[in-house]
Amino acid sequence: MTSPAHAEAHAAHAEHHQLGFVRTYLFSTDHKMIGRQFLFMALFMMIIGGSLALMMRWELAWPEGNVGPEPNAATRVLLKLFGDASSGDLPIPFTKWIPEPYMYAGHMPPEFYNAAFTMHATIMIFFVVMPILVGCFGNFLIPLMIGARDMAFPFLNMLSFWVGAVAGVLMLAAFFVPGGAAAGGWTSYAPLSAVPTYTGVTWGQNLWCISLIVLGASSLMGSINYITTIINMRAPGMTYFRLPLTVWSLFITAVLLLLALPVLTAALAMLLLDRMAGTSFFLPAGGGEPLLWQHLFWFFGHPEVYIMILPGMGIASEILPVFARKPIFGYRAMAFSMIGIAFLGWIVWGHHMFQSGMNPTLGTSFMISTMVIAVPSAIKTFNWLGTLWGGNIRFTIPMLFALGFVAMFVIGGLSGIFMASTPVDIFIHDTYFIVAHIHYVLFGGSIFAIFGAIYFWFPKMFGRMMNNFLGYVHFWGTLIFYNGTFFPMHIIGIGGHMRRIYNPMQYEFLHPLQHWNVFMTVSALGLGLAQIPFVINFLYSLFFGPKAERNPWHSNTLEWVAVTPPPHGNFGPTLPTVYRGPYEYSSPGVEEDYLPQDRLLSDRPAHAH
Amino acid sequence: MLSWWLPQNVSTYGGDVDRLFYLIFYITGVSWVLVQVSMLVFLFLYRHREGRRATYTHGNTTLEIMWTIVPALILIMLGFMSKATWDTIRHTHPPSTTVVQITAKQFNWEVLYPGPDGKFDTDDDKMIENDLHVPVNQVVRVRLSSKDVIHSFFVPQFRLKQDAVPGRVIEVWFEATLPGVYELPCAELCGFGHSGMLGHVTVQTAEDYQAWNKEQWPS
Amino acid sequence: MAAPRRLTRTGSVLRVTDTGAHITASPISNARLAMVIFLAFESMFFAALIAAYLVFRLRSAIWPPSDLPQLPLAVTWMNTGVLAISAYTMRRARAAQRAGRRDELARSLVATAALGSLFLAVQGSEWARLVGHGLTLSTGMYGATFYTLIGCHGLHVLAAVVWLLVVLARAQRSRFAAPVRVPLELCAIYWFYVVGLWAALFPLVYLL
Ligand code: HEM
Ligand SMILES: [Cu+2]
Ligand SMILES: [Cu+2]
Repeated sequence: MTSPAHAEAHAAHAEHHQLGFVRTYLFSTDHKMIGRQFLFMALFMMIIGGSLALMMRWELAWPEGNVGPEPNAATRVLLKLFGDASSGDLPIPFTKWIPEPYMYAGHMPPEFYNAAFTMHATIMIFFVVMPILVGCFGNFLIPLMIGARDMAFPFLNMLSFWVGAVAGVLMLAAFFVPGGAAAGGWTSYAPLSAVPTYTGVTWGQNLWCISLIVLGASSLMGSINYITTIINMRAPGMTYFRLPLTVWSLFITAVLLLLALPVLTAALAMLLLDRMAGTSFFLPAGGGEPLLWQHLFWFFGHPEVYIMILPGMGIASEILPVFARKPIFGYRAMAFSMIGIAFLGWIVWGHHMFQSGMNPTLGTSFMISTMVIAVPSAIKTFNWLGTLWGGNIRFTIPMLFALGFVAMFVIGGLSGIFMASTPVDIFIHDTYFIVAHIHYVLFGGSIFAIFGAIYFWFPKMFGRMMNNFLGYVHFWGTLIFYNGTFFPMHIIGIGGHMRRIYNPMQYEFLHPLQHWNVFMTVSALGLGLAQIPFVINFLYSLFFGPKAERNPWHSNTLEWVAVTPPPHGNFGPTLPTVYRGPYEYSSPGVEEDYLPQDRLLSDRPAHAH
Repeated sequence: MLSWWLPQNVSTYGGDVDRLFYLIFYITGVSWVLVQVSMLVFLFLYRHREGRRATYTHGNTTLEIMWTIVPALILIMLGFMSKATWDTIRHTHPPSTTVVQITAKQFNWEVLYPGPDGKFDTDDDKMIENDLHVPVNQVVRVRLSSKDVIHSFFVPQFRLKQDAVPGRVIEVWFEATLPGVYELPCAELCGFGHSGMLGHVTVQTAEDYQAWNKEQWPS
Repeated sequence: MAAPRRLTRTGSVLRVTDTGAHITASPISNARLAMVIFLAFESMFFAALIAAYLVFRLRSAIWPPSDLPQLPLAVTWMNTGVLAISAYTMRRARAAQRAGRRDELARSLVATAALGSLFLAVQGSEWARLVGHGLTLSTGMYGATFYTLIGCHGLHVLAAVVWLLVVLARAQRSRFAAPVRVPLELCAIYWFYVVGLWAALFPLVYLL
């Protein structure tokens, strides 16, 4: 068949080869390249965010470089390696080059500690998890999975990445301005963040605000693209309830981003005006209201946490059926629970403010809505278990990470219930219990999903397979050290250990908990080391991995129909037509244990999912 | 001395908080074990075997309705149980003769006592930094505010935490049940000196408290 | 080549575009849909600012504070009229464009741009007067909320005028012959949005 369409596809393909380096790799408008760009940017930022985390952990275990009277075995080893055994001084390794007043010969002052956790969280949330889940996988997967040739607005898409990159540069620039980077926490509560003299940070905080406003513009462009593409550009037969759950999750994420970010943008604009133009939106002295910042921030912030987990849930829902060789259990319940989260997510923000002085009656209603929003998460968990039941489970690396995701997310979801209960939250608010919760949902949840997704889609993205052995080392190392790093945070949180403190030894009631801090830091170092096999695997496989086939996992969804790696325009001369839902594994209708969405079964009418 | 669990509780409503904590702990603990164990069992039972074919099923409506409704009921029940305790702590303001004003500032707690006349804004008011003395087994009311940024008044052993917000006065109460000296850290990030912003609450027997008052306000 | 049409199971229409892409034809084009999505973002942005304004407005008994100047009502009523007429001329432009009446299209677009600019000019001069009377961003919450809210709206009007001028310039190059349908439609939607926004802000800030 030589149709105009056919010719066009060839032209598109040829055009791809003619584009120069700049148009192919830098200012590409191809959704797959833009996705990869987001991935590389975010992995780079992850190294920075991770290094900050390790510095903080070091400080917490050995405050001010002090190993205490009875250092344990691990501490003694580290002391030998990096410290001064005679004085018991254990400065942070590899940081001597950082000049004063940021660091004092490897010793961290409290100002820098505050900047470190502020920037750590900001970077991880806005420049690692969001760019990978939404920017990278959103971009890469949406057109491929719905059977489109590209996003609706490829140029806007390119702009989205580059505007995001500018935001990243602005954020990192904050480290180099006088006064240092923002140090008011990623939540930047006013008035602390609104008056430079309260923190001593001047341009650092301004840049923080500006960077996030710019990033908001980037996300807006992304959302416009995702929503339009998913609504308007699905392949023939790709009805809403045949969409892979990953696409569902990204769709809902895009809607949440679209509606939540402008609220943050408005709040940031007011904060900047307070800092630079003499207004007092958040300053009581001028008639302002500090709690207004918290309301606006969390009105954005709670949808934001779902923005960071929904794509992870989508990814897990994709990987589990593939390797259990079984349809996802309760597809519709999975989709509707995400829709439920999207609605409920707007009425729970007050659960971050139970102790803020907000009206206690309001607190009660936020508690009830928060209890209710845990239900969709429970439904999803049970459905994942249902998917495993009766399966034929293959323990590939992506599967291990997806299973890890389920196991860890459950812990994070359950710990949320403690905090949802207002009286219990009185005690654990602002303690390490919160930090544990955050990390179980965001590291155990989002980051595990991200790793699973990278191992799963790497063959399609880069045309090569990743190494299995290194993958196993990475998974088990990460799982073990991750739990060693974060599980004890529940325990010290229950012991009353406040978050965001720089030296726990200043409090007598925390002395008995200090050994946990040492334990967690040593685990964190292990967690850091456990990422090395991943880096090696990623870089090595990028260039030298064995060539991937078109559909190495025997998966059903449309991205595996495209050749590997997909060319410009994704699919051949004609787009695939979809005949069924995405999870028809082990269907009795066919001999193989999978049935791709686009395969026409001639002897039977295509049946709905 | 606490080692690794909830700090000792020495306030009247702390017991209610702890009971809720344990209730949630047991419920979530059981759920966690159930989920984790069934996952491991499934992973073992249904691991890949040559010739095995997975069960072809898309779900089970009855089951799914069950596991929607049961968690929902449990969670809402927890919500209402929590409400009761929350109301005791935050909505009731039991009468009290001991009232202090605590004003947080970077990086100290300014504790203002009304003095023997029991009234603020009189000559015998007295401000002592980072040192709160209260009688045991009596309701104490604390009027919290802040001079600069948000701080948070936290006494782990009382199960009491409340942000001190500039521009507002927020009143909290507690009744300590055991004499002793308890730490009073600040729990909300308030600047570079946040870590180490620390006061002490001294809970005293009636006699000791009398004596301390005599010492502070001789006359 | 006529686009072949088919029905999917859900009944929506499929067509094969001339680029070979199958598109599930939805009732709304990509561009319009994107515009609607963008306006959802804008609405949330203003909702946040309005919420902040209401927090301060509703808690103060006397508004404006007695020592601060009242907002200029008469002029702003007139200016509101200017904006309303601009919406009308924009509608005319769109209708003319759809009916292919080139002269009227050109005239209406110029009129719309002029009215938009007039609105901005009047707002600007009123601001200058207010600042002269001592109402600035830093005079309490009254000044802060007023300038932020109305200023953000002004910026949006400015953006709409600039956008319109770009469309106008493009249309002019081809003497209004080449189709500027999509850009104009989008610009019109945005224009109506900005006018509608004013219809919400004016009573809220000036009359309440
Ligand atoms: C299962 C349902 C969940 C419930 C009931 C829940 C409940 C809560 C509550 C009540 C808080 C505030 C605690 C406090 O500060 O005192 C909180 C904090 C937090 N939650 Fe959740 N949560 C849930 C799921 C999630 C998910 C899925 C994520 C993200 C992926 C998440 C991320 C966070 C973060 C980042 C914070 C801390 C914010 C901060 O103060 O820095 N939560 N959660
Ligand atoms: Cu939340
Ligand atoms: Cu503090």
